[in-house]
Amino acid sequence: MSKLSAIEKIKVESNALRGTIRESLQDEITGAIREDDQAVIKFHGMYQQDNRDRREERAEKKLDRLYSYMIRLRLPGGFISAEKWLAANDVAGENSTGVIKITTRQTIQLHGIIKAKIKPTIQAFNEANLDSIATCGDINRNVTCSSHPNESPLHAKVFAFADKISTMLMPKTKAYYEIWLDEEKVADKKVEEDPLYQDRYMPRKFKIGIGIPPNNDVDVFTNDIGLIAIIEDNELKGFNIAIGGGLSTTHGNHETYARLATVIGFVDTEEKVLKAVYEILTVQRDFGNRSDRKLARLKYTVDRLGIDKYKEEVEQRTGFALEPARPYEFLRRVDNYGWEQNHEGRWYYTLFIENGRVLDDEKLAMKTALNEVAKTGKSSFMFTANQNMIISDVAAEDKELINDILAKFNILEHTAAASAIRKNAIACVALPTCPLALAEAQRYMPSLISKIEPLLVKHQLEQENIIMRMTGCPNGCGRPYAAEIGLVGTGPGRYNLHIGGDNEGERLNTLFKENLDEDSILAELDTLFTSFVSKRATGETFGDFTNRSYIQN
Amino acid sequence: MLGDSKFKVFLDLINTASKDELIWMNGYLNGMVQAQVAKAATVAAPVATAAPAVNKITIVYGTETGNSKRLATEFATRAKQHQIHAKVVGMDQYRLTDLPKEEYLLAVISTQGEGEPPIAAKKFYDHIHQNGFKLSKLKYSVLALGDTSYPLYCKTGEDVDEQLKKLGGERIAPLQKCDVEYEEDANGWFQQVLQQLHSQQTGSVEAVTAAPVAPAKKAGKQKYAGKVLTAINLNDHGSNKETWHIEIEADGVEYLCGDSIGIYPENPTSEVEAVLAVSGADANKIVEFKKEQVTIYDLLKYKINIIHLTERLVKQYADIVQQEIPATKMNLLDLLKIYPVKDLSQFEEIIVKLNAMSPRLYTIASSPAAHDGEVHIVVVKDQYHINGETKFGLCSDYLSYLEEGSTQNFFVQPNKRFRLPAAEKDVIMVGPGTGIAAFRSFLAERDATGATGKNWLFFGEQQFATDFLYQTEIQNWYETGVLTKVNLAFSRDQKEKVYVQHKMEQHGAELFQWLEGGGSFFVCGKKDPMSVDVEKTLLGIIAEHGNKTGEEAKLYLEQMEHAGRYEKDVY
Ligand code: SRM
Ligand SMILES: Cc1cc2nc3c(=O)[nH]c(=O)nc-3n(C[C@H](O)[C@H](O)[C@H](O)COP(=O)(O)OP(=O)(O)OC[C@H]3O[C@@H](n4cnc5c(N)ncnc54)[C@H](O)[C@@H]3O)c2cc1C
Ligand SMILES: Cc1cc2nc3c(=O)[nH]c(=O)nc-3n(C[C@H](O)[C@H](O)[C@H](O)COP(=O)(O)O)c2cc1C
Ligand code: SF4
Repeated sequence: MSKLSAIEKIKVESNALRGTIRESLQDEITGAIREDDQAVIKFHGMYQQDNRDRREERAEKKLDRLYSYMIRLRLPGGFISAEKWLAANDVAGENSTGVIKITTRQTIQLHGIIKAKIKPTIQAFNEANLDSIATCGDINRNVTCSSHPNESPLHAKVFAFADKISTMLMPKTKAYYEIWLDEEKVADKKVEEDPLYQDRYMPRKFKIGIGIPPNNDVDVFTNDIGLIAIIEDNELKGFNIAIGGGLSTTHGNHETYARLATVIGFVDTEEKVLKAVYEILTVQRDFGNRSDRKLARLKYTVDRLGIDKYKEEVEQRTGFALEPARPYEFLRRVDNYGWEQNHEGRWYYTLFIENGRVLDDEKLAMKTALNEVAKTGKSSFMFTANQNMIISDVAAEDKELINDILAKFNILEHTAAASAIRKNAIACVALPTCPLALAEAQRYMPSLISKIEPLLVKHQLEQENIIMRMTGCPNGCGRPYAAEIGLVGTGPGRYNLHIGGDNEGERLNTLFKENLDEDSILAELDTLFTSFVSKRATGETFGDFTNRSYIQN
Repeated sequence: MLGDSKFKVFLDLINTASKDELIWMNGYLNGMVQAQVAKAATVAAPVATAAPAVNKITIVYGTETGNSKRLATEFATRAKQHQIHAKVVGMDQYRLTDLPKEEYLLAVISTQGEGEPPIAAKKFYDHIHQNGFKLSKLKYSVLALGDTSYPLYCKTGEDVDEQLKKLGGERIAPLQKCDVEYEEDANGWFQQVLQQLHSQQTGSVEAVTAAPVAPAKKAGKQKYAGKVLTAINLNDHGSNKETWHIEIEADGVEYLCGDSIGIYPENPTSEVEAVLAVSGADANKIVEFKKEQVTIYDLLKYKINIIHLTERLVKQYADIVQQEIPATKMNLLDLLKIYPVKDLSQFEEIIVKLNAMSPRLYTIASSPAAHDGEVHIVVVKDQYHINGETKFGLCSDYLSYLEEGSTQNFFVQPNKRFRLPAAEKDVIMVGPGTGIAAFRSFLAERDATGATGKNWLFFGEQQFATDFLYQTEIQNWYETGVLTKVNLAFSRDQKEKVYVQHKMEQHGAELFQWLEGGGSFFVCGKKDPMSVDVEKTLLGIIAEHGNKTGEEAKLYLEQMEHAGRYEKDVY
């Protein structure tokens, strides 16, 4: 095999993910950390970033770039207790920008934490039993799980798998505790021996999602491993396993492509599920491309080996064969807003949080509202893969109390009033913090939507559940390739327009027009909407229509 | 001119002499020559063997930045060589009840603020201004330190000299005023004093004061009309500070690292117009101020200080308008509003008697070698609060609005003690806040001249993210090895406050090694509390890592000071 990529060397030489982080923290003169450590801290759940808006002016002021760190929490299945939510709030208030960002993988990120505040932040999290271990880096990421408890009495059962898998796939190194929590050095290196990750970890990030039909809110097929809960006559029979999902592409690199996971079979018992997942990782660990990071994800390994070869290899390692996949049906991907009740009579309120940004602004005191709710101690929270939040597990007698708070802060109104297109939309972080951003996303999409809404009204499409997603670059953090309307940033103010994805997340969209500015985006959409209303088959979704009429012929 | 043997002795002497000893010798000889020219004494120049008529004197000093103290102690040593026992005591330490018992008292005192005594001398100063007691025994002489660039040159010294006379004291040598370059004049004065103490008949001397030194001698005071090249606020959004980096181009400007520049602020036009409005005076009317014809407008705008008038001036105002005004500092505008003038002539009398505008000093942040023909300064906008309202300091506020391309007048203010040591010597620099100025100058100079000595910088501010003044330049010097070590203290980035002295403590052992290796220690920035805490910490470090008692540590630091290895530029 050709030369290993630089990161591979850094991982192996990092002394179980310690690197020289300690020394880096001591460098008083810079807000940055040493180059190699920038790769290492990702495994501890943080990224070095700098505020790109401020670069020029700071240079004039003879100030270095405004380096800060983004920390991403590990919350399998997106569940967080009220106390933990409040703790995260305090930390955010003290050490970060104060904005809490709900991500597309059901967890939260804090931005703008300066070097001196990293340790206090992680320590504060630890106090609250929160951690950021392995939420970034070449390792298994936060495990997602369908977040709508009311959808199935078995939700809790399925949800438990997210936790079990996450725990099973944690790295064994104690570096995190040593560096950030000042626990003393492990004397016996044996403790840290890691049969799964060894010293090279995965070739690339690794993602696992669990979907509970009929809702595909987690976009199960965009993960390296997608588990589809198979529920027959109200029993969890097991999971279909799909592998090889991944969305990222690189402009101009035709070897890169988005891919939806392929279902390879079914497993029943918990033991088998865990074993299969584990060995799918070891195969990727051993066969994945370690010289070209652009081609290192499992999706490329699958296509290189062939799906059958990959499956065979897994079966050899597990020692059991996968059963044929069971039938399942996904009907939707969007969140069910408002109050809902589950089979046990507990209440859930799903509220709309635009692009997952929780903050108080002049229009809405979202952050305060959620804290008020949390302080009652009468609920917990769940994050959805659509960057929204569910106030969950509210007893019937407490519903009114919570509802009053939501009413008082106009959350009910805010959620009810938002248009369908806005509620279903996702935008990634992008500028100013994301170093890879080529264009705006979460800062821009709200205003773009305000200009699309009138078009929909004009065509009487405002009720349509069209899924539109935007990212600031082709990495696809907002899963734009799995949307009916995908906008992928190519440069300042310019986007590629993708159409033809389905509504359930089982068909990717296709590049339709390149490098559009706002006016052209609106013009293109206007034409598409026009022909949609005139030519659509009854009940046909926008995604299916555009695929049929523009992509297929 | 000297014969070989004499010349050898002479050389041996000067080659082995410390900077201060040389200065002293220079002054001593100079004094002798002066004395002969002045024929002040017919007796042969004093020699250590000739027993003096007086053998006990007290030298009191009132100092702000240490010059007066330095001289006082120097004089004491010299007095001893003449078998005169000299007790040296700071005016703040001095037992005022001893004053009537004094026979021979020498006072060395500087002038601060707007012709005000140093804080440490206020008690003494006020005491001798309340009459009602006699100093019949007293024989005295006053050495006044000052600066001709301030309108009230050596005012405090003058006052002290006058008051002691009023109280019945007898002058043994005329008041000597000294400008910034005080060594020569000071030594000449002490020389005269010594002779008086030696000669039997210590007759009274008339109150003649040495004429202010000829401007020709004041190369340091040359005025420049510079062009503002750049003015940038170095603090980023979210800072509590506003710190301006200002670059001024002035062809042929001459200065050395460590010097400051002086700038005369203008009064805010709003304030000037308000004063004109309440007084009803005619802005264009010509009045005479310090033998100069100026319009009332120009007088108020450029010539005099109308803000925060000293108690002395408030009293003067009260006397003119014949009203009771409590002794406190006030703005002219408020005085006019609360205690109106009878008529315009009263108004004019008041304003022409106000103090001329005082210059503000700013440590130069550039280096001749690196920034030829330019001076850079770094100015923090001075903020203060009166009854809840935020106000800004006159000059720093004015400078924060400088337009690029505009003309800015300034003069160079030498600081002879605050100088880089030889190129191979190590330097420790403690310069939080605007204190960084001197060290940006030092580092740029050492960089440009390829000095081989090691450099260690301690800098501090409130927040790393927004207040790290000159961060990119400092990073550069660190990467290129000009800076050997950098330690930073950002007080607000963590729960407990961290300041430069804490960083010094952390690195105490190494810091002491640098000192032992002959390194120099410089402090620049806020006098209080910064430079005070830094000195305390430094003494602590010397004591701990040099296993010394507090006394020994003090001595160690004093020796450094004498050797010019411990210097402060603080304000
Ligand atoms: C926060 C989040 C977007 C959001 O608005 O929610 C996000 C934000 C970032 N992603 Fe992502 N990704 C996020 C979900 C995704 C997804 C969607 C998903 O996983 O469901 C994808 C596409 C699916 C996939 O992995 O193929 C995704 C594909 C990437 C990639 C491309 C990976 C690849 O295979 O090439 C990168 C770049 C890389 O890793 O080199 C990336 C890198 C980044 C970084 C860390 C930029 C960087 O590498 O420095 C972004 C941080 C921006 C910031 O300032 O916060 N992110 N990223 C999502 C966090 C999820 C989480 O909690 O873990
Ligand atoms: C040797 C030396 C070097 C210096 N170097 C620097 C340097 O490098 N950088 C730098 O920024 N500064 C430096 N300074 C300080 C500088 O000279 C000025 O003192 C400083 O800028 C404040 O001057 P100002 O005219 O802005 O404030 P001023 O108007 O003189 O006010 C100063 C203070 O007086 C009080 N005050 C004034 N008016 C009123 C009022 N109406 N009511 C109540 N209180 C009042 C307030 O406490 C105020 O903070 C240095 C000083 C010295 C002596
Ligand atoms: C803020 C400030 C104000 C001053 N005001 C005067 C003044 O009004 N008149 C004067 O003659 N000298 C003035 N000086 C000059 C000092 O008296 C001079 O620097 C002297 O050498 C200080 O001696 P010291 O170190 O013993 O205080 C001032 C100096 C400073 C720093
Ligand atoms: S999609 Fe691109 S721009 Fe958006 S967050 Fe991901 S990496 Fe950044």
